[in-house]
Amino acid sequence: MRLLAAELIESLEFLPGQWLQTYHAPALAAGAQAGQFVHVRTPDYSGLVLRRPFSINTVDRVGGRITIHFRVTGAGTASLARMQPTQQVEMLGPLGCGFEVDPRSRHLLLVAGGLGMAGVRALVDEALAANRDVVMLFGAASAMEVYPSNLLPDEVEYVVATDDGSFGHHGRVTELVPRFEAWADQCFACGPLPMLAAMAHQAAGRQARLGVASLGARRGCGSKAPPLGSRLARRRAWLQVSMEQNMGCAVGACLGCVIMGVKGPQRVCREGPVFAANEIAWEARWP
Amino acid sequence: MAVEVVGAGQQAGVEVDLAVDLGRGLVLRNPLLVASGTFGYGIEYGEVVDVQRLGAICSKGTTLRPRVGNPPPRVTETPAGMLNSIGLQNPGVDAVLDKYAATWARWQVPVIVNVAGESVDDYVEVARRLDGHPGVAGIELNISCPNVGAGGLQFALDAGAAGGVTAAVRKQTDLPLMVKLSPAATDVRGIAKAIADAGADAISAVNTLPGMAIDRARRKPLLGNVYGGLSGPALKPIALRVVYEVAQVVKIPIVGIGGVGSLDDVLDFLMAGACAVQVGTAVFADPVLPVRLVDELAAWCTANGLGSHLELVGVALPERRDKPSVKGGEYRP
Repeated sequence: MRLLAAELIESLEFLPGQWLQTYHAPALAAGAQAGQFVHVRTPDYSGLVLRRPFSINTVDRVGGRITIHFRVTGAGTASLARMQPTQQVEMLGPLGCGFEVDPRSRHLLLVAGGLGMAGVRALVDEALAANRDVVMLFGAASAMEVYPSNLLPDEVEYVVATDDGSFGHHGRVTELVPRFEAWADQCFACGPLPMLAAMAHQAAGRQARLGVASLGARRGCGSKAPPLGSRLARRRAWLQVSMEQNMGCAVGACLGCVIMGVKGPQRVCREGPVFAANEIAWEARWP
Repeated sequence: MAVEVVGAGQQAGVEVDLAVDLGRGLVLRNPLLVASGTFGYGIEYGEVVDVQRLGAICSKGTTLRPRVGNPPPRVTETPAGMLNSIGLQNPGVDAVLDKYAATWARWQVPVIVNVAGESVDDYVEVARRLDGHPGVAGIELNISCPNVGAGGLQFALDAGAAGGVTAAVRKQTDLPLMVKLSPAATDVRGIAKAIADAGADAISAVNTLPGMAIDRARRKPLLGNVYGGLSGPALKPIALRVVYEVAQVVKIPIVGIGGVGSLDDVLDFLMAGACAVQVGTAVFADPVLPVRLVDELAAWCTANGLGSHLELVGVALPERRDKPSVKGGEYRP
């Protein structure tokens, strides 16, 4: 975790209201992992008191660059979108726990809903660099909001679903998951909460449906299941999800971004944003 | 030719002493504290902030038993401020001491444990467990948290209750005791006086002010707990007013809190009668701000020929320091 100035190199409104910005931040790029995020102090913060968290969208270690992907939703993102190249913003990062890919996984299924693409996009590059096969399922409201395929590497199999049927599969992106659940060794998802909850529900029944063994120690080898929430347990989980919540400090101090896990409250900024699906209490009841 | 640049009014060789005494032996090296709830237990920002340079750290609110806190969303930005409704999530006093006290004991920077409770007995029991524990430099009594059902804020709205809980905790501990006021009280002066009379060593003012926000898309209250506490620059004029009023009725040190985000804000609180300030919400945007303010305050004192920032404390107060302010008397909230 570092506090540093990042210089804007390129700013592109690639979809209406959605921006892709490239920043020069070598120290950040050097240590960033897919699934981690940065906490950005917007350039014009008159009247704004909080930083804005963004998933690290892509990492270019050689060039010392990272990109972020966001939709303009308020004053903070609007001021970011107005920035010109060579302007600087202050970033805190890389923050949080990223995706844990099992070394044995060959086939990765990535599922993104809308802006959730920002959460899983970096994993595409990491997985391809490690010679893994990647299928990316993407869901949006309509063709107008579909993430352009030219922003993804050619090696990725890209399957799109739209709610109104204007592009690709007519329906929800989660309806595409069963087609790939036997193929995929692991699945990584980011998107709206109902989508993630539906996927967690699907994933819970996957083993029974397919009759396959989960990744992990063979029975009789003597090793116990790793504790829930540990890196090893996450690595062995079939489904990992990147969660979102309003955030204050982003370093675990303020407890503003807490969600309910099966083992009690979890900080999205510290224990997350990536969790194994079975760590989350999807039908959370707060006492 | 080398010219030594000396600022206007600067006296060569004047050492600025920023130390401030909060009573009962709690002497801070400088008057910049970090406010409870914004800095966790002091370790979270350790990678980016040199915490040893702070005047003191006020810990996250700590209760007798563990609390899971309120449902999310818990924070949201508002015009020139933010709302939070964490709901005092914490692992309980024993777990806090187990986990952090050893680290605190090794630190130069004093850690003041913020204590919250639902009843007088709760406060007393937490104080008893903190008393004499290595690493605990003092107690900040949080009688003004707006985000919990029972207890919490009620203690801060009534002089009798505020004095009662302060006296009960005072009996239990010799630790330096600071009591945190609420800006929601109709007249803070009576409450501050009761707290001082009950044996508090210092007063911190103020906690957050209850507020709410609406999620227009969902057509529902935005925060999971409906209500949250307002903090940030929006709160500063209110906090300043409370400090100004309290400074005229008590003689114990006052620590100003509410929207401190620049040296100007620090100076305002000092002039209104606070001898130290806590930085809260501004830490989220700029974690190194409190440490930077220490340097800025020292430089300002040097430039203005002050040997200590304490020379500034209360200079804006009416001259009759022992009598209530005429302006304050006219003020009817």
